[in-house]
Amino acid sequence: MSKLYTFLKYFFITFWTVFVVAPFLWAVSTSFKDFQSVNSKVTYIPWLDFEPTLEGWRVLIKSPAKGGVDIVEPYFNSIFVTCTASLISIVLGTLAAYALSRFTFKAGFVRNNDITFFFISQRIMPPIVLSIPFFIFLSTIGLLDSLLGLVVVYIVLLMPIAVWIMVDFFNRVPKELDETALIDGCNPYQAFYKVVLPNSIPGLIVAGMFCIIFGWIDFFFAFILTFTEVQLLPVKVVALNSSITPWWSLSASALVSVAPLIIVAFIVERYLSKGNLSGALK
Amino acid sequence: MEEQMAKIDLSNISHTYNPLDPKPTYALNPFSMTWENGKRYAILGPSGCGKTTMLNIVSGLVRPSKGEILFDETPVTDLKTEDRNIAQVFQFPVIYNTMTVYDNLAFPLRCREFTKEKIEERVKAVSDTLNLSSFLNSPARKLTADQKQLISLGRGLVREDVAAVLMDEPLTVIDPDLKFRLRRNLKEINEQYKTTLVYVTHDQNEAMTFAENIIVMDQGEIVQVGLPKDLFEKPKTTFVGYFIGSPAMNIFHSTVSSDHEVKINDTTIKTNSNLGNLKDKNVKLGIRSEFIELAEKEKSNTVKIKLIRVEDFGNFKLLTGKMGDLVIKSKVEREKPIPDGELNLYFPPEKCCVYSDEKLV
Repeated sequence: MSKLYTFLKYFFITFWTVFVVAPFLWAVSTSFKDFQSVNSKVTYIPWLDFEPTLEGWRVLIKSPAKGGVDIVEPYFNSIFVTCTASLISIVLGTLAAYALSRFTFKAGFVRNNDITFFFISQRIMPPIVLSIPFFIFLSTIGLLDSLLGLVVVYIVLLMPIAVWIMVDFFNRVPKELDETALIDGCNPYQAFYKVVLPNSIPGLIVAGMFCIIFGWIDFFFAFILTFTEVQLLPVKVVALNSSITPWWSLSASALVSVAPLIIVAFIVERYLSKGNLSGALK
Repeated sequence: MEEQMAKIDLSNISHTYNPLDPKPTYALNPFSMTWENGKRYAILGPSGCGKTTMLNIVSGLVRPSKGEILFDETPVTDLKTEDRNIAQVFQFPVIYNTMTVYDNLAFPLRCREFTKEKIEERVKAVSDTLNLSSFLNSPARKLTADQKQLISLGRGLVREDVAAVLMDEPLTVIDPDLKFRLRRNLKEINEQYKTTLVYVTHDQNEAMTFAENIIVMDQGEIVQVGLPKDLFEKPKTTFVGYFIGSPAMNIFHSTVSSDHEVKINDTTIKTNSNLGNLKDKNVKLGIRSEFIELAEKEKSNTVKIKLIRVEDFGNFKLLTGKMGDLVIKSKVEREKPIPDGELNLYFPPEKCCVYSDEKLV
């Protein structure tokens, strides 16, 4: 019985690993191919099956004038928009979440839970519902097709995630911790940033990770709210496609696009596995 | 040493957690009490009787629905927790996870901007008392639960100018050996620094050994305030009789038969209480099992019981007997020979308490 279990366990893990890793390997291999190696016959292994070339990668940094696509600028645009929006969302979201976790709000029939749900409801709505209001809003204030406009929209998209995660996190931080800080002589603000916040770093990191992921991968709003002035990475990658699909440069751009997320995942995983997630009580 | 310790007055305090309800339920019924400077108090009562609410009102975490709190005659009811100079220790350890043990202990002093030398001196003194000296530089989260609770306790004791140290069942998570030693340490701290200590517990032994004054609470009501001896010998209500002492007080339904006598079943028992003025002749007679004596033969104030059980507790024997439907428990010395079957128990009149409507006559 236990042998069968072990077998099934390893079988499943192996299967899943192949399932997850294979597309990556495929992309890595394809990014070094040229037109010939992709279209003539099935090839896998460099040097044996095909002669590797860096052409797919070179195209990404070459300027369009020289026949390249230059994803460097969209890349930094994406980094700027994602990081700025995530940072602002985390700061505002954490403050909102702390208030929602520690104080009782009443306005008519609206209670704390309703306010929290209002934040999350922004994410439940299909994005298409928000696209027209956002478009009109940005064009009215003259921020259409600009980095600042995108930052504003992304804050709206990311803050619910931050609020949602942090409310849950603060609810698990015992209120005795705040009370002890008050008794020890902090005012409520000091209690928040000297005691509660340092204890919430794991929550902040998780919330930050989700904000970065969701900000980085968004295609829809980046596509709708920008034209020629500003481009974000996902839009640029999709724009690579033409009448002849350039599989090699598509693969290369896909790899550089996921690279930041992989780095973030590794850092976060290291941090979370240190066991800092345990609460202050017990 | 700065002299800031205070007499604490609770004047007509009451509290409800649902004040907007047309018929609010009170967690604390109106009461007034004074905590003298430098004394040790224990608040004793079953879970949910309002003990913690009382502490939170004093520390300012809860604002009382009615009444006033005064520290040395100065009203502090509207003062915020951080301005009250109170230390409070909770039932479960609350530590600052991200700090070292030293920083944890120093935190209350740093918040109040003590000098570095003073902080060092106080942290050293407190960590010596609590056996934490060797951990001062380790991260607080790495410690065991009872060590963490020592840190909580230490943060309460590190300020010597506090008006009072309030402790809400602080030794629950600490093992018995250390518990005993810590209680003694707390007593010493109280005697040395004259810090007012208020200690909430549901364990009567803890309360009895720790405090000079015990406040017994039940269902939001203060039932009795007194010395351990008074609570034991003259419980003011049957609740205190039941709650304090092990086994609980023997309490029998009885009727008043004369000015000083009551009848249990058909046996007349003489008491020292004056029962002449009682309107309701149905009363309860209470007597501690410790005060009931074995009698050689039938005489006045004895009851005849049928022995049903003898339990040997090592230092004493506990007899359980029946008189009709009534169960009577008596503690006797270990060496005393116990006759089988029927025996006579003597109720000393001065130890008999009579309760009318659950209150001592």
